[in-house]
Amino acid sequence: MAHRIRWAGFYTRPAIHLDQEMARNSTPPQIPFGVTMLAPILMNYGTKEQQDQFLPSIRDGSVNWCQGYSEPGAGSDLANLKTRAELTEDGKHYVVNGQKIWTTLAHIAHWMFCLVRTSSNGPKQEGITFLLIPMDDPGVEVKPIITLGGTHSVNEVYLTDVKVPVDNRIGEEGKGWTYAKGLLVHERTGLAGIQNSVLGLEKAKDNASTVKIGEGTLLDVPAFRNKVGALEAELLALEFLELQTLAQVSAGGDPGPESSIMKLKGTEIQQRISELNIEAAGIYGSAWGESDGPGFARGAMGGYLGTRATTIYGGASEVQKDVIAKKVLDLG
Amino acid sequence: MDLSYTEEQNLLRNSLQRFVDNSYDINHRNALTTTEEGFSRENWQQYADLGWLAMSFAEEDGGIGGTPVDTQVMMEEFGKGLIVEPFLASIVMAGTALSEAGSAAQKEALIPGLVDGSLIATVAIAEPDTHQEFERINMTAALKGGEYTLSGQKAVVLNAQSANHIIVAARTSGQDADHDGISFFIVAADSKGLSRKDFPTVDGLRASDLTFDNVKVPAENLLGEEGKGYALLTKILNRTILALSAEAVGAMEVLYKDTIAYTKQREQFDHALSDFQVLKHRMTEMFVEYSLAKSLTLKATMLETQGSEETQRTIHALKYLIGKTSRFVAQNAVQLHGGMGMTEELRVAHYFKRLTVIDAMFGNTDYHLERFVA
Repeated sequence: MAHRIRWAGFYTRPAIHLDQEMARNSTPPQIPFGVTMLAPILMNYGTKEQQDQFLPSIRDGSVNWCQGYSEPGAGSDLANLKTRAELTEDGKHYVVNGQKIWTTLAHIAHWMFCLVRTSSNGPKQEGITFLLIPMDDPGVEVKPIITLGGTHSVNEVYLTDVKVPVDNRIGEEGKGWTYAKGLLVHERTGLAGIQNSVLGLEKAKDNASTVKIGEGTLLDVPAFRNKVGALEAELLALEFLELQTLAQVSAGGDPGPESSIMKLKGTEIQQRISELNIEAAGIYGSAWGESDGPGFARGAMGGYLGTRATTIYGGASEVQKDVIAKKVLDLG
Repeated sequence: MDLSYTEEQNLLRNSLQRFVDNSYDINHRNALTTTEEGFSRENWQQYADLGWLAMSFAEEDGGIGGTPVDTQVMMEEFGKGLIVEPFLASIVMAGTALSEAGSAAQKEALIPGLVDGSLIATVAIAEPDTHQEFERINMTAALKGGEYTLSGQKAVVLNAQSANHIIVAARTSGQDADHDGISFFIVAADSKGLSRKDFPTVDGLRASDLTFDNVKVPAENLLGEEGKGYALLTKILNRTILALSAEAVGAMEVLYKDTIAYTKQREQFDHALSDFQVLKHRMTEMFVEYSLAKSLTLKATMLETQGSEETQRTIHALKYLIGKTSRFVAQNAVQLHGGMGMTEELRVAHYFKRLTVIDAMFGNTDYHLERFVA
């Protein structure tokens, strides 16, 4: 029988309530890499020693993690990754060479959980191994990537002869894809950002209600109001879909490929909400520095630029559609 | 009806293309955006020397006597090069204001300087409460003892920090969005009581918010007839929208072509991305929408040149279509470049930002669609 992964409290109703409260109070977002991404992997596939070593510092937030998956030649086609890990002769270490890219927060991470290739025989998905790599190793070099709007959040990570103890391998050699894949399904539901969008739409409405148009406000302008309404309707549906999925997970099931629906629609909605804010900013929509415009105006453009990434990362929208076509609709 | 460009227009286009190809790569352009003024005076002088700044002015005013179609040709090429020099502010906006409404003395005082590049001017219409309604002018101008006193605020004035003269829309009578009572004034940028807050726009260009605190302007600096400035306001906006649309068309051309080139060389799942039908169709849609936007830009420009009654309505349709198409083309250019499209290293990101700003300026899609169907 296939190993059924336990998701503990990571993708449950209380977790959603936490998201809601954090969004409502405009706290900085929770960094997901340790808490919601690596921890479940450790709890399900890690050894007792690995759990004892890594879980406490994830729980208390004292150690930052980053995710070493994407590579220059492995984006949508993640299994195409080429970073090599070779066992030393004594069998005690892997020597890792290669390059990771789009590594969010690598510049502040202490550790990276990483997919590496340990074999090139057979299908691409086989021969991938899941390793935990300390970022302070002299063979690890992090270079910033500046994205739309001048933000530094993602990085290139170069790995040169990085020696990783075999004890830092999760599970079996060559099974890394299986461990990571289960997680991707859950990552997608998180990336949908539904609770943030619910709150984000409320904020967009608040912003628009401060913009005077004729006798009323921008919220009274039919073209704008209808866009808001359409988003509200879709979010109502998406919120319920999320609850249905959670019910399934709570019952011991798996969110399955339907999580791609949430990723696809959720990210599109995030982008559309960000457009509302630019429209509400009016002539100040183009301003980047300190103008006399309303307070939300500058954040509006930053939000619009930033959310362009949401339909690219975590499996681009085109990939999500492929997943739905293949796994849900049996379209080959 | 002859719909082809003239030989002169083709030569003009070639000279701009040569300049962009030889002297204006994206790194040069981005470096300029980090300078104090956000553009190169040296380039500006070269545009003057090449006659580009003179093109749209009448021959009797010291120009070359070009039509809006010549401006369209230039702006399209500027769009391809993502040019940051203040052509829109100084030549299209201020140039239109002076050409349309300037007295002989006003033209003589300013146009030669605009044409030889020694003077830069801009136009200030929008105010903090404008949102999309540019006729909503609340800045006041009161005449007393041979001079006007201007008080109020202007918002997001392009290149104001580099301008020697600012052409300002103010209200001499009426209120808020009344068409009557709008008057234009030529204001020296160093006038007492005029303060500026400068900031970059998201595309790396420059704009300022201006505060006029009892700024004294000589009565002879009234541009056009007092209280009858609404027609000039409309004319300036229309010419600006035509120019911006042409610029957007040029920028979109770069984006759809860059996207095709990128997807041909980027391989995933053992195929070039361009082999995937869904992406082929997306790029085809980008091209189709671009083609429509380009056609409507030329149609509207020709109507404006002819002084057709259809012009106003067509310009509303145009700005709507340009905004919608710019978003579609720019968003998909980034999407199809994947993570690379999000980096400031590739030029796609910079064209994306410029097109986003163009959509936000001088009335967005919703506003112009509403005016079009009204």
